[in-house]
Amino acid sequence: MKKRSFPIDAAGNAIRDLNQPGYYPDFSTMRQKKSWDAATQRVVSARMQQIPPVRFFTADEAQLLEAIIDRLLPQDDRAQNRTIPILPVIDERLFTNALNGFRYEDMPSDREAYTLGLRAIDEMARKRFSAPFVQLTLEHQETLLKSLHDGKPDPAHQVWKQIPVHRFWALLLDDCVTAYYAHPWAWDEIGFGGPAYPRGYMRLENGLPEPWETDELRYEWRAPLDSKSDTVSSADDAKSFQPRGDR
Amino acid sequence: MAIFPPAQPNTHRLGPMQTLPAPMRRFPDNEPVDYCIVGAGCAGGVLVQRLARAGFRVVALEAGPFWDTEKDWVSDEKGSHELYWNDLRITGGKDPLALGSNNCGKGVGGGSVHWAAFTPRFHPSDFRIYTEDGVGTDWPMSYWDLKPYYELLEREIPVAGPAWFPWGDPHGHPYGPHPLGGVGDVLVRGCAKLGIRSVAGGPVAILSASHGDRPHCIYRGFCLQGCKVGAKASTLITHVPDAITHGAEIRARSMVSRITLRNDGRVDGVEYFDAEGREHRQLARAVIVSGYAIETPRLLLNSACPTHPHGLANSSGTLGKYLMAQAGNVVAGRFDELIRLYKAPPAHALSEEFYETDTSRDFARGFAIQTVGPLPVAFARQMMNAMGAWGWGMRRVMMDYNHWATLGVLGEILPWEDNRVELANAKDQYGLPVAKVTFNLHDNDKKLIEFGKRKVMEVMYAAGATQVVQESRYAHLVGAARMGKDPATSVVDKFGRSHDIPNLFICDGSILPTQGSANPGLTIHALAARTADYLIQQGDSIFYSSRRDQSEPGIRYDLSPPFTRFKGNPRLA
Repeated sequence: MKKRSFPIDAAGNAIRDLNQPGYYPDFSTMRQKKSWDAATQRVVSARMQQIPPVRFFTADEAQLLEAIIDRLLPQDDRAQNRTIPILPVIDERLFTNALNGFRYEDMPSDREAYTLGLRAIDEMARKRFSAPFVQLTLEHQETLLKSLHDGKPDPAHQVWKQIPVHRFWALLLDDCVTAYYAHPWAWDEIGFGGPAYPRGYMRLENGLPEPWETDELRYEWRAPLDSKSDTVSSADDAKSFQPRGDR
Repeated sequence: MAIFPPAQPNTHRLGPMQTLPAPMRRFPDNEPVDYCIVGAGCAGGVLVQRLARAGFRVVALEAGPFWDTEKDWVSDEKGSHELYWNDLRITGGKDPLALGSNNCGKGVGGGSVHWAAFTPRFHPSDFRIYTEDGVGTDWPMSYWDLKPYYELLEREIPVAGPAWFPWGDPHGHPYGPHPLGGVGDVLVRGCAKLGIRSVAGGPVAILSASHGDRPHCIYRGFCLQGCKVGAKASTLITHVPDAITHGAEIRARSMVSRITLRNDGRVDGVEYFDAEGREHRQLARAVIVSGYAIETPRLLLNSACPTHPHGLANSSGTLGKYLMAQAGNVVAGRFDELIRLYKAPPAHALSEEFYETDTSRDFARGFAIQTVGPLPVAFARQMMNAMGAWGWGMRRVMMDYNHWATLGVLGEILPWEDNRVELANAKDQYGLPVAKVTFNLHDNDKKLIEFGKRKVMEVMYAAGATQVVQESRYAHLVGAARMGKDPATSVVDKFGRSHDIPNLFICDGSILPTQGSANPGLTIHALAARTADYLIQQGDSIFYSSRRDQSEPGIRYDLSPPFTRFKGNPRLA
């Protein structure tokens, strides 16, 4: 069972089961599909409809990576059927051994880095919290992951002598954001216009929307209380939320 | 009801209005062509076009595909991954360069397929930085030797921009500037507040009005993903069609593995792998390597043989050395108001106010300030590096995507011997050793980057940003097979002819001795046109003589692609 932890709105209610998070509630890039060229329609539709099977990772590795991805790019606010697939996209890249054009001299191959890195994270979980990573509380999972983010793995693990931890972190997160922000539902979330050929844009200045784009409707929200990954910088921002209710 | 007319069957499209001239010539492998060009990118595309027009038998072997822009290209970030050179390379050193993605192309058009198409000229000072500042090295030519080619190529590809570009050798542009987008407005606003001169709407090799069989820009912001519109120049659409019309062959999916030598020490062709992995040999009377700053030295190193044990054209030992990248720090600023940075070409507005050496600063040379326009995936990566964003923080900052504007530093990093391309132990899919790239920043580079980064952050705040962050990164690879007068310290002469082998040439970004803080694309085009004029003027003597004539060939105005005539380069007399 997937562990979940919900962000909170200004009234203190859990934000969950959203079809579309973000500040552009009625905006849909896919609704514009008919005005795209055929090749783009094909590629973007295939991304939405054809989710590749997991073939590179073992079942255990896949379960572990899924739990990690859920913290690296959490989607707890999204409805289950509006969750953007990330694990299958990473698996596909590794299964086909698709490269990004280079490997750092001090890094093993992407495949090996994933295999070793995942094993290290699980062993760190067992050592520090005496349980496999997937069984940890979300707070403990994030505590471990944040130590990788900060470049100070806690507890130390020998794999990070072999693989620079900041490079592993960048590899993993890069793959996650590439999968997430390449998805039309993520474009809708952030108000990106999406494919725009052959129509193009006519309102270039002052952030004005095209007739088929929508205005921004901002709302305040804060990350789940047990999360350590938000960027809200000042404590004041965080304090302005008074959480209550059924978290 | 279909909005678009049905596609014509079996036509190879190069933009919505242009098709590939058919049929294309096919030279037999075992019959020598005059010129075999390795790589059909920025330089290779111009060379093959000029040489074909002059009547030479010429084939360009290109490792990647021959793009059909309607079928192969998409208006989508992730779907454009195949435009890049994705094969393995190893990167290291104290400041390792991220390779792949937008610093190296694969396919006809090469990097010009996914360049942002900023086309500033180099400044006159760029050609003599050793004389002026005691750093780097001088070019074996001056700005004034190249200027007629800058002007000609600005008309050929053609360049849109302001009527008056005030820096370097001031000049105007054949096509008018583009309308201002949100990010360009931020650059102009910030610079204006600080009293820094800026220009907007170019110079870019993007059409602001239709040109022959190419339509104008539609401002969709997908320049780096290959311009389906056909408004942004790439040699795929500017020079290659004309080359084929005039009898050239472009042989795509042909990965050259080795340049071969005759007993008399002259090259006689190349070995290559076709799309199915079969080995072939193409005989040629002369070979021009146009594989860019990594693949060019790699091929020459991989062509080592008993008479050239350290690689071809490497008696100086400088092959692979003096590799350069430009500092490409991205400064992102968050604004209370909406920007929508995905609209309009990423290459949009710039300032070269800090380009030249300023003795009041503690470093030589300088930098430019330019707009950049990352689409969502690229922007998320920048936020990961610039802010350490992850988890809910990543989701939050990305929800504000439309509130951010991004400006880039484009800073001159000097040529250093220890920045180099060598062969790694690892092999690629053909069993060929891959390139290993080593990169270290030196003191001058670090001071320049620090100053440039701070200045651009200042501009961003002056424009009204409430939060400013920056990511350290690099752009544009050049050098590694540099040109020079002295065969002991350079690989090729000022026309790209290797010092060691009289019928082996190099023509691409790798021959640049220094790089200024201008995007290198226009300069590479201009150098290729000049080398072509030299080869044409020298005629058959290239194929049998070892005599090295260093006199200027004189520019040919009769070899340009169609639609070049009747355009002008505005300037004050």
